[in-house]
Amino acid sequence: MKSLDPRVNRLPTLSREITTKVPLDQLGTYEVFVQAKENKPFQHEGIVHASDIELAFVLAKETFTRRFTCVSIFVTDTRDVYVSALTEGTVNAYDTLPPYTPNANNILENYLIFHLLKRGKQHVLAGKVTASTPQEAMLKGKENLQDGKPVFNVWAIRESAIRHTQPEEMVLWKTLPDKKYRDASDYKAGDKLTRFLAQRKNEIL
Amino acid sequence: MKEVALKELLYKIADDQLILGHRNSEWTGFGPLLEEDIAFSSMAQDKVGQSYALYQLLNQLGEQEPDTVAFMRNAQQFHNCQLVELPNGEYDFSLIRHFLFDTAEAIRFDLLSQSSYQPLADLAKKIKGELQYHTLHANTLIKKLGSATPESIGRLQNSLDIALPYALGIFEPSPFESSIIAEGFFAGEAELQKQWILKVDALLAQTQLKPISWPTVKAIYGGRNGQHTEHLQPLLDEMSEVFKIDPTAEW
Repeated sequence: MKSLDPRVNRLPTLSREITTKVPLDQLGTYEVFVQAKENKPFQHEGIVHASDIELAFVLAKETFTRRFTCVSIFVTDTRDVYVSALTEGTVNAYDTLPPYTPNANNILENYLIFHLLKRGKQHVLAGKVTASTPQEAMLKGKENLQDGKPVFNVWAIRESAIRHTQPEEMVLWKTLPDKKYRDASDYKAGDKLTRFLAQRKNEIL
Repeated sequence: MKEVALKELLYKIADDQLILGHRNSEWTGFGPLLEEDIAFSSMAQDKVGQSYALYQLLNQLGEQEPDTVAFMRNAQQFHNCQLVELPNGEYDFSLIRHFLFDTAEAIRFDLLSQSSYQPLADLAKKIKGELQYHTLHANTLIKKLGSATPESIGRLQNSLDIALPYALGIFEPSPFESSIIAEGFFAGEAELQKQWILKVDALLAQTQLKPISWPTVKAIYGGRNGQHTEHLQPLLDEMSEVFKIDPTAEW
C-alpha cells in the first residue's frame, strides 16, 4: 500500500520469511541531570539509552534540553546511582539508613547527594559530601544537607562517575532562547484558528 | 561585482544547509534509536534555521523573500554541493555525510566569524554552539562505530569511500573566489579544504577506518554551478509540495 508519508514509501520492503524472534538488543541506561539556570541546582530529568557515557552526554543534550532553558547538564551510568529506601508521609528516608561503621583505611571521594522532596517530582541536587562509600555519603548528607523537611528518597553519586559539561561546551545552549520555532505556542495556532472561524462565519452569513 | 560575489557565497552556504537539513529530516521517526532520532532531527532543524538566517541576509541584499527563494526555485537554480542532495541510504551513509559536511561547516563558520561582511560574522558567532554540537555528535558516533564491530567499521568504510569524491565537491571554487578573498568576505574554499583535511584525518586516525589517500580521490564538482544529480529535483518537489498549494498562506 502506498502511504501519504513519503518517508514510509522510502522504507525497504519487509521480508516475508518466517524466522525466530530476535533477542532484545538494548543499550544500557544513563541518568540525565539538567541545570535550567545559573545558580539553580541540577535536577534529574530522565534517562537515555547509550553505548557509553560520552554518547549518553551527546544524546541527553537534545533529548532533554531541546526546548526549555538550560545552561549545563551532566550524565552518569544508572548503575552508579545509589538509592535509599523510598518513603512517604512524614517518614524521612534518611531515618531508614542502616547503621554504618567507617573504616579509617578507606579512600575518601566526593559524592553528590540528591533529595526527593515531593513524590512524583524530580530529585534535586542538595550538595556535595566526602565519604568512602555511598552509604557513608548518605549519612553525611543526613548530618549536613537537611533543612527540616522530610526527604522521601536520597541518591548518592560518586563525582568521578559523572560526565560534566565542560566550560567550552556551555556555548551549546546559546541559541536555545531563539529557537522559538520549537515551541508550539510560537505558531499561535489558536489565534489563527479563531480568526479563520470568524472569517468563515462572516462568509456564511 | 563585490555584491554578486557575496551573494554567490551566501547562496551556496544557505542552499547546502537547506538541502541537507531537509534530507536529514527524512530520518525523523525512523532513526536507529529514539534518542538518536531526536538528536538527528534537531540538528536537521538547526540546519534549516541556519539557511533561513542566510536567506534573510540575502533578502536584505535585494533578493526575494526567504520562502520564495527556498520553495520556488528549480534544481538548476540551487548552488548546493551534490553531497547534500544524495539520498540518505542507510544510517552509515547519513552519518558519514553528517561527519564530512559538518566538519567543513564548523570550520567554514569559524572562518566566517572574521568576515568583513558584519552580518555574516555576527551570524557565525551566534550559531557557533549549534555547529559545535553537530561536530561533537558526528565525532562521537564516528569514533565509536569506526572502532566497534567488523560490520560497523565495514559499513562506515564503504560509505566513506562513496562519499569522499562528493565531499571534495563542497570546496568547488567559486568564479568569484579571488574577489571573495580580496574583499575579506571569506578565507576561500582552498583554505577551508586544507583545514578540513587535517580535521578529517585526525578523527579517522582515532578509528579503524583506513587513512585517506587524498591524491587518489577525484572531486565531483558542478553543484555550485547548478549541475545536480537526479536526486535534487524530487527532493525539492517534496519539500515545496505544501507551500505550492497556496504560496500566500500564512503559517
